[in-house]
Amino acid sequence: MVLGGVVGPAVLVAVAVLAPAASAGVLRMLLRTSLLLTLPIAVSVLVINVFFFPDGRTVLLRIGPFAATAEGLAFAGEVLARILAISGAVTLFYLTTRPADLVIDLERRGVPARVAFVANASVQTVPALVDRAASITAAQRARGLDTEGSVWRRMRGVIPLVGPVLLGAIAEVEERTMALEARGFSRPGRRTLLWQPPDSRPQRLARWLLVTAVPLLIVARAVGGLAWLA
Amino acid sequence: MLALESVTYRYAGATGPSLRDVNLTLADGEVLGIVGAAEAGKTTLCLVASGLAPRTVGGMMRGRLLLDGIETTPLAMHELAARIGIAFANPATQLSGVAGSVYEEVAFGPMNLGLPRLEIIDRTGAALDALRIGDLSERDPARLSGGQQQLVALAGLLAMRPGHLVLDEPTAQLDPAGTRLVADALGRLAADGVSILLAEQKTDLLAAICGRVVAIESGRLALDGEASAVLADPRLAEIGVAAPAAVRVRRLGEGAALPPAALERLRHALRAEASA
Amino acid sequence: MPALTLDSVVHVYARGGVRALDGVDLRIGAGERLALVGQNGSGKTTLVRHLNGLLRPTSGRVLLDGTDVASHPVAELARSIGLAFQDPDQQIFAGSVRAEVEFGPRNLGMRGMQLRAAVDEALEAVGLSGEARTNPYDLGASQRKLLALASVLAMRTPVLVLDEPTTGQDLRGVAIVRSVVVDAAHAAGRTVIAVSHDMDFVASTFDRVVVMRAGRVILDGPPASVFDERSWESLRSTYLEPPLAARLGARLGLGSTPTDDGLIRALKASA
Repeated sequence: MVLGGVVGPAVLVAVAVLAPAASAGVLRMLLRTSLLLTLPIAVSVLVINVFFFPDGRTVLLRIGPFAATAEGLAFAGEVLARILAISGAVTLFYLTTRPADLVIDLERRGVPARVAFVANASVQTVPALVDRAASITAAQRARGLDTEGSVWRRMRGVIPLVGPVLLGAIAEVEERTMALEARGFSRPGRRTLLWQPPDSRPQRLARWLLVTAVPLLIVARAVGGLAWLA
Repeated sequence: MLALESVTYRYAGATGPSLRDVNLTLADGEVLGIVGAAEAGKTTLCLVASGLAPRTVGGMMRGRLLLDGIETTPLAMHELAARIGIAFANPATQLSGVAGSVYEEVAFGPMNLGLPRLEIIDRTGAALDALRIGDLSERDPARLSGGQQQLVALAGLLAMRPGHLVLDEPTAQLDPAGTRLVADALGRLAADGVSILLAEQKTDLLAAICGRVVAIESGRLALDGEASAVLADPRLAEIGVAAPAAVRVRRLGEGAALPPAALERLRHALRAEASA
Repeated sequence: MPALTLDSVVHVYARGGVRALDGVDLRIGAGERLALVGQNGSGKTTLVRHLNGLLRPTSGRVLLDGTDVASHPVAELARSIGLAFQDPDQQIFAGSVRAEVEFGPRNLGMRGMQLRAAVDEALEAVGLSGEARTNPYDLGASQRKLLALASVLAMRTPVLVLDEPTTGQDLRGVAIVRSVVVDAAHAAGRTVIAVSHDMDFVASTFDRVVVMRAGRVILDGPPASVFDERSWESLRSTYLEPPLAARLGARLGLGSTPTDDGLIRALKASA
């Protein structure tokens, strides 16, 4: 956000997101997941800006009454770069953090156990739901549900899929709650945290750097500097 | 000692009670089996015995749950959790979801109880040993087989050092290997003097480890007595429960007008199989 | 012409590279009642999902009445092969039992009188005729399982595949499943394949048992031969126990007696 243009964010993404991802061995997964997640937004950003950018003058091509402009493309590029930077960073976080560590660390810093749990559960829900949806789709296909036919047929076919996914998710929540309760989860007061997620000087340093960098960058930008990073 | 005294229980929104005037005692060190048709009330009985009903599940309960003679009504769920452990049929939903290893999963309960660190380490080690899953300590619980996950769930309960275990069809979703794993573990726990309330469809399993068995029918206790007597009771079929294989074979033999010598040979073979 | 043929089928899951099927050859005749047994991970679930095209072989072929199923979409294969999943809650979505059972046949194009008849027949077979208007979630878990069975039965497919139909069922439930396999399906000339680990149910309900371990077939034959003493070592290598009747028969020197009835008959005959 603070850096204008495309180059700045691109460099940032490469350094802060792609490099660590590669060293953690999750680069491919990261690229697949964050690209998939941003695809719908990316398409709409691209289409809207390329064709309807208000200051567009340099026309690249025409499709009927619509003109694609270079300025629009440039703007779309900037927006997309930022979106990818954010989604990449968030995805990297979830791919490289152990759920247990996240919860324990949050609790250590004073977050109530339940809140930390919910934060974790919401992350874990997505892959679980995806798996569930796959099983349910298989079961309904085995009953003749057409998932390979026309778009209209496939849209109609969503109803027999949504029901079991939701109902199953709710039923599962009930079972999980009982299991957690049965292990004393609702006891008021702090839990004993058996271990500490590993932390190191370089990590602490990096955190401090990031935290102080943000206000500095904002000030620098307001003051008009950093144009060379655009 | 765990006791249900004249317990009638109705789920929230249900038209009728799921348990009607149930009186049941689980003595220390006893292994009590619960049999019944589907929907007869086995799960409800387990939920009431562990305190989850009515605390977490809601609903209305009349009658009392007594723990060592003390009324449990004023106690909150977390206070009961340390005294009565409960496990269910689905291995995966019993995992906390925040444990990267089996060790962490088993330590989860004691951690919740706020026990001192050394105590937690002590208990976790002991529980892993009791279930013989020390070699699984570093494994990711989500990647274990169903049977192994059930053992982890049991270890997690034991680490809380409850006086009683309530198990609701723990082998229902397991394959034969998993069932054998859990059955053997339960047999060892029983031999160690752990009190167990075990609801199961697999009457062969109950015949092997229970001292006493009760049969539940439409929320009422229909039979209550010594395991071999109840499991051989002809009324089990009416109640909707399959008799153990040995009982079935013996009954078939006795009803088939076999010459006495042949019948004796059959009985002898049955005894030999039972002790094998 | 066998109804189904698996020809050197290998299946390697893309995720994790697990070799779930390691070269399976199987010929299943029309009208056969076959039980597929093995531990979780033996490949039995993977195998049945190849039958209706949910999974495609990594190598090898699956033939339905001599034709390779590779080119046919799953929705089309559902006309020939009905597969009832182990977890009924993975398919139940309708507001009433009747609507739920209608789903499959409707997808296959059944309408009007034919649809009604198929649904009524299926509900009758599983004992849910009186619950046609009931919301499936007002039924207990074991009745929902029977509902899932009815949903597939109503499709009137020539081949019926049941994944763990008796797991979690009580006495009545098992009896219903057994009667569905024997009466409704077999009598109508349908091929029935069931994945199960209930050895008693398998021995008394099916004419052929296929035992799998680590993606391969290790035993294949009628219950009398699969549960014969000579096969016990193979069975036990995959943690399966022969039924009590078989063990007693061996003890008493009566040959192979996998079922209770068979045991008593043999005992009578030897006396």
